[in-house]
Amino acid sequence: MSVLPYAVAAWLFGVGLYGIATSRNFIHLVGCLGVCQSATYVLLLGLGYRWGSIAPIFYDHPPGTPAVDPVMQALVLTDIVVGATLTALLLVLTVQAHKRGGSLDPEKLRPMRAGGKSGRSQGSSRVDEPARGSR
Amino acid sequence: MSPRFRIALLALAGLVLLPAAARVIAALPPFGSTIALYGERINAVTPEARHVANMVSAINFDLRGLDTLGEEFMLLAAITGTVVLLRGRRGEGTTERAMRLPGRAVIPRSEAVVLGCRIAGPLTCLFGLYVVLHATVTPGGGFQGGVILASGTLLIYLGEGYAGWRDSIRSHWLDALEGGGALLFALCGLAPMLTGAAFMQNILPLGTFRDLFSGGLMLVENLGVALAVTGGFTQLFLEFMEETREAEEPDEPGEESA
Repeated sequence: MSVLPYAVAAWLFGVGLYGIATSRNFIHLVGCLGVCQSATYVLLLGLGYRWGSIAPIFYDHPPGTPAVDPVMQALVLTDIVVGATLTALLLVLTVQAHKRGGSLDPEKLRPMRAGGKSGRSQGSSRVDEPARGSR
Repeated sequence: MSPRFRIALLALAGLVLLPAAARVIAALPPFGSTIALYGERINAVTPEARHVANMVSAINFDLRGLDTLGEEFMLLAAITGTVVLLRGRRGEGTTERAMRLPGRAVIPRSEAVVLGCRIAGPLTCLFGLYVVLHATVTPGGGFQGGVILASGTLLIYLGEGYAGWRDSIRSHWLDALEGGGALLFALCGLAPMLTGAAFMQNILPLGTFRDLFSGGLMLVENLGVALAVTGGFTQLFLEFMEETREAEEPDEPGEESA
């Protein structure tokens, strides 16, 4: 039973990673990244937990009461805030990729090529240029 | 890369990494038995040393304040990136016309929604302020309160519509809030150095334990973070909302930058 939180964290990270690897849509991919990230919340909070302890806020309880690890909680707070803004940044990149390439499918987008319009017309047939396709 | 190849690659990476991960997990302390010594010492020392009740705020704004400064600028960089990437001609006017799929019905805003937002909006902002101000006493702080305040502004959009929202939220105010908040935090680090103290040393009077005015310099830093987070997240909402507007002329930012 004592490894359950760590197992949950590992499982969350695993499914998130599987989703990222098999993703066919950038928005889905950003969501999967969020799942991966929530694994870190579970791991950090699990590492900082101790049975019978209070939250590390000594308002109702006098200082000296056994409390859980405040460092982990501060880390999770940081994690959440930065994660939220980075999700926004990734979604913006998704918006721009859709504007340029007309698709959200990573398979159909040809990055690093000027002119998204040509990528859209050739995106459906993926065996167009052997030199680029073999890369 | 075909999807099958990607999965094969992932499985291979997993096979390599899993034994190492399993060893690390096995070496972790059993769940719930003990906490790290650093956190234990902070819990023991900080209420006395800094007169604050909330250890998480004490870590964020004082003990590890330098890390929070870095985080603050990460936030600033991410939001700047968002704004730079999205800013175009679209949505600058306060047009009510949103882009919509042809044939989809337009449902007018119901009076219940307007009333609900007008009641919930001020209450949400009040709650956000409460969470911000009680950073050193009860659970809360600039990050949490700032996000609550930013979501309070979203209720204006929900209740009053896009034009009303744009009228009440000015983009350059948000820029000033966000940059000013980050600047305030950085100045909190630099100002003690003028007196000969160390970077971000807590030189202000510490106040009374369990009181609103406790923690000294933490209160100012907390305010800076709250300003930056409120401004930053509202800016994010604004930029994304502008994307839903119908452009006066078709804009293709990708074409210009290419």
